[in-house]
Amino acid sequence: MKLTWRWITEFLRTDLTPQTAADRLTNGGVEVGSVAPLAPDLAHVVIGEIEAIERDLGGPPGHPRLLVRVSTGRQRFQVVCGAPNCVPGVRAAFAPPGARLPGARTVAVAKIHGVESQGMLCSERELGLGEEHASGILVVGKDAPLGGDLVAYLGLDDWVLEIEITPNRPDCLSVVGVARELAALGGGKFQYPAIAVTEGGDEARGLARVRVEDVELCPRYAARVITGVAVARSPAWLAARLRAVGLRPISNVVDVTNYVLWELGHPLHAFDYDTVAEHTIVVRRARRGEPLTTLDGQDRALDEGILVIADPRRAIAIAGVMGGRDTEVTERTTRVLLEGAYFQPASIRRTSRGLGLATDAAYRFERGADIEALRDALDRAAQLIADVAGGAIARGVVDAYPAPRRRPAVRLRMSRLRRIVGASPPVEEVTRILEGLCLPVLRAGEDLEVEVPSFRRDIAIEDDLVEEVIRVWGYDRIPATLPAGILSPVRSPAALRQADTARQALRAAGLHEVITYSFEDPAAQAALGLSGDGAGSVPLLNPLSQEMSVLKADLVSGLLRALATNARRQQPTVRLFEIGKHFRRAGEGVVERRWLALALTGARADLGLYASRDPVDVYDAKGLAEHVLARLGAGATSVDAGIPDHPYFEPGRWARLVVGGEEVAVFGEVARGVQEAFGVPSPVVSAAIALDVVARLAGAPARFVPLPRHPSVQRDIALVLPLDRPAAQVEQAIREAGGPLLRTVTLFDLYTGQGVEVGARSVAWRLSFRAEDRTLTDAEVNDAYHHIVETVRRRFGVEVRAT
Amino acid sequence: MNGVEADDLVRRIDGFSRQAREAVEKARSSDDVEALRIRAFGRKDGYLTACLRELPLVRPEERRRVGELANRVKRELEELIERRLTELRGQERQAGRERLDLTLPGRRPALGTVHPLTQVNDEIVRIFMGLGFSVADGPEVESDYNNFEALNIPRDHPARDMQDTFYLSAETLLRTHTSPVQIRTMKETRPPVRIICPGRVYRRDADITHSPMFHQVEGLAVDRGISMGDLKGTLEVFAREMFGERSKIRFRPSFFPFTEPSAEVDVLCFLCAGVGCRVCKSGWLEILGSGMVHPQVLRNVGYDPEAVTGWAFGMGVERIAMLKYGVDDIRLFFENDLGFLTQFV
Repeated sequence: MKLTWRWITEFLRTDLTPQTAADRLTNGGVEVGSVAPLAPDLAHVVIGEIEAIERDLGGPPGHPRLLVRVSTGRQRFQVVCGAPNCVPGVRAAFAPPGARLPGARTVAVAKIHGVESQGMLCSERELGLGEEHASGILVVGKDAPLGGDLVAYLGLDDWVLEIEITPNRPDCLSVVGVARELAALGGGKFQYPAIAVTEGGDEARGLARVRVEDVELCPRYAARVITGVAVARSPAWLAARLRAVGLRPISNVVDVTNYVLWELGHPLHAFDYDTVAEHTIVVRRARRGEPLTTLDGQDRALDEGILVIADPRRAIAIAGVMGGRDTEVTERTTRVLLEGAYFQPASIRRTSRGLGLATDAAYRFERGADIEALRDALDRAAQLIADVAGGAIARGVVDAYPAPRRRPAVRLRMSRLRRIVGASPPVEEVTRILEGLCLPVLRAGEDLEVEVPSFRRDIAIEDDLVEEVIRVWGYDRIPATLPAGILSPVRSPAALRQADTARQALRAAGLHEVITYSFEDPAAQAALGLSGDGAGSVPLLNPLSQEMSVLKADLVSGLLRALATNARRQQPTVRLFEIGKHFRRAGEGVVERRWLALALTGARADLGLYASRDPVDVYDAKGLAEHVLARLGAGATSVDAGIPDHPYFEPGRWARLVVGGEEVAVFGEVARGVQEAFGVPSPVVSAAIALDVVARLAGAPARFVPLPRHPSVQRDIALVLPLDRPAAQVEQAIREAGGPLLRTVTLFDLYTGQGVEVGARSVAWRLSFRAEDRTLTDAEVNDAYHHIVETVRRRFGVEVRAT
Repeated sequence: MNGVEADDLVRRIDGFSRQAREAVEKARSSDDVEALRIRAFGRKDGYLTACLRELPLVRPEERRRVGELANRVKRELEELIERRLTELRGQERQAGRERLDLTLPGRRPALGTVHPLTQVNDEIVRIFMGLGFSVADGPEVESDYNNFEALNIPRDHPARDMQDTFYLSAETLLRTHTSPVQIRTMKETRPPVRIICPGRVYRRDADITHSPMFHQVEGLAVDRGISMGDLKGTLEVFAREMFGERSKIRFRPSFFPFTEPSAEVDVLCFLCAGVGCRVCKSGWLEILGSGMVHPQVLRNVGYDPEAVTGWAFGMGVERIAMLKYGVDDIRLFFENDLGFLTQFV
């Protein structure tokens, strides 16, 4: 919210500068985002009078170009001007040579149509003060001081404070509120505006009636009537002030309601009295489907959840949010019905959000307006309307306020203050601080009682007062201590420790950790074969975009996107992993499971002197998965080659890693179509580890096994196997046949080519034999070896190739 | 047996010694030196061996002089031969090997990287674990109750604007902070509670400083006699650990529905040491929100606010990482360009 310093100081006697005031507010909890001069771009623009038109210089039809004489009192200038409102006798904004205009423009003497022009008469737009240009130059009143500084005359030698108000402090959403807050923070003396109304003529009660049908949603509704107004543009000072705080001037009557909204913080609405049927206001809930065209021109269909202002025939405004077009104030309006009301905050918020109508009025009502202060706002606005638009204020106020607010009191124990803060000012200072905040202390001492005024609806409990006291006293005076207490063991969830172990294992293996959004594009899910209605996809009700509209069903999508990003940036060799969650629908709920996923593309290593330029293959993905699983205590996996098709792996080129029948990981080659759909240029291999499952299966802690005391004996065995015979199956048979003397079996060579028939391959293992209690003899080893050879020959019908 | 003339023997030893020394010095290879050694000291035919064998034949009164001479010559020659052999063998070893270019690249193991956000997160967690805080985690899909209502943020309350929310249904949402973990923990345990809750959180917001998904670390301490002074002291320790010994913090009043009183915490800008720069403008950097746990929140989890007090704080990991590393666009953390990821080793 923008406020100007001059406006604030109308209600605050202070020695502060705008900058020191901003610091004071920020340190007191009312954050000032910026302090900036209101008109930094204008210099030496003055008020000049057009004395005479010297000559018509011609120009296109309807656009005469005149040479005029402008006086600033001390000096005369001849100026070329084409503005339609350039007539002798008016005083207007004049930029003599040397004046500075927005856009770092310095006015100079110029030749226009062969005539020397000494400066320029300026429009609002040229001065950066508004949009007006077509209607001509900025004309000021006859009373404006000739030759005086325009910026000063318009009150633009001012500062704009941009203030960020937290939702609990609606009372600071106004000039008066900020002035009051500054005073409480020791920044000066606050003066509540003197508000006087000059009434006359008829009784308002005779002119208008108010009937509130829903007192819960509208505890108070007050109205005044002003007759005989002339709706027109606002005077310059009013328009300038509204523009300074970022509001657009509309007409004098409407501008006054906005002015008072900014000054006192209470939203008001002006109806054209003569368009309100029977001059009767009815406050009620809308009927289902009830139509209303709002001020923004939208035709809306309302419902019972919405409170409306109506006349006996129809809804004429959405209460507290926006007025209706039929009853708005126009240039034809002569009588105004001015509304000042209080609406229940939650109802306004529901309506405003439901309709997507965020207005200044709704913003204040939903945070809580001041139910007591609305009479002041009505009076102030009525008087201002009479001042700037003429007219007479009808006598009295129509005020429906059936249950006036009781003034609550809140207790504050000094003991509580000390316990919460760890220190406190003395009780006299506490009392002084509270009074300074306009919070009357009803009972002083160690156990205070404090009255809560209507503008501080945020104060409800003792601790609220604690904050009030110490924020004024100074947060910087709170002593810094360390908590005492009983030491207890520091714990960390097993899941986080497991993730850390896996992360370090993959980092050591040369992979880079990525973090990707938990959202994804349904199209990406479809490309991965994971979507389809009811296939467990979890959509957001209010996504930021279609590309981020469902939760990630598999971590691979984020990795593929990251691979594509790097490929686009000339990084073809990429090894990535992510630890995160996938989200899938299960019945009514959503299950989130922890996964680790990795994906590799390009060569096995970055380009380098010793680096392998071989492309990554499925064994890289498998090996990394096994590496992580081993570190997580689930190393004893077996392979369950994928018989059915996997959603995103190439058929026949993926498998599961299984522990005790449970899938702990999958690995494989990402299907070519998927890889291309994600924009990755070269083949991708990937693996995913189900961290939750692994956590459940993780093995027992390590136990020491005595080191061997006798040497082992090695033998190699090479078998020619058909290509479709899984090596692991044969290896298993070797282990079984080897008996207790066979300690390790290591596959170390694969060979196809010369000497091996087509459709077969030679597979070689190194066998290591050892006994715990003796050194093995050759005969023992030979017996064991031959038993193995015999077994595999019989079982698989294969021959030993060489040893 | 004929006697041996002492002078003659001395002359022969000297003569041989001179020749042998010269030959050793001039030898081109270790093999030549080895051959010379055998010529001099060979058990059967060694010249000096033979000379020494004649020693008993020298007249007894001269035997001592000649013997000493012979031994000295022998020792000196042996030393010379050893030195020369070492020298020649060294040269020969060099000559037999390929020439090394030690400026060639070393064979480094490929090392990956941990994401900068993980690194910063782990650093924050480590500091608080050192201060006696346990780590707690919880689900990212949460109930409206745990995320808002239990934290004193009712429906239709403007405070909900502070955290624009992604909903999955009317009752479930993506958590907007890790505070629901505090609620879950307090519901399960009795005070004292001292936890930190790191994790991913979600808000419906996207620009160069806001990401719809980001990371938080929140802390909570509830016990008898816990005060705002303790909060300040704890965060001072954190700031010094995280941003350096000279670091300072500042508390400013603020508003959060789940704390009362509430405070924004600024740290003295470590880029300009508080002078005011492009990043901080004011000399201070806003790094976290905090406050005393609202009595209603304590009541919501079944604690008695007259018996225990507590405080909580929360900070964005991205924000701290951006400040620490000078990253100016939050989206870089989620693009995962290797050029970016490999900068934070």
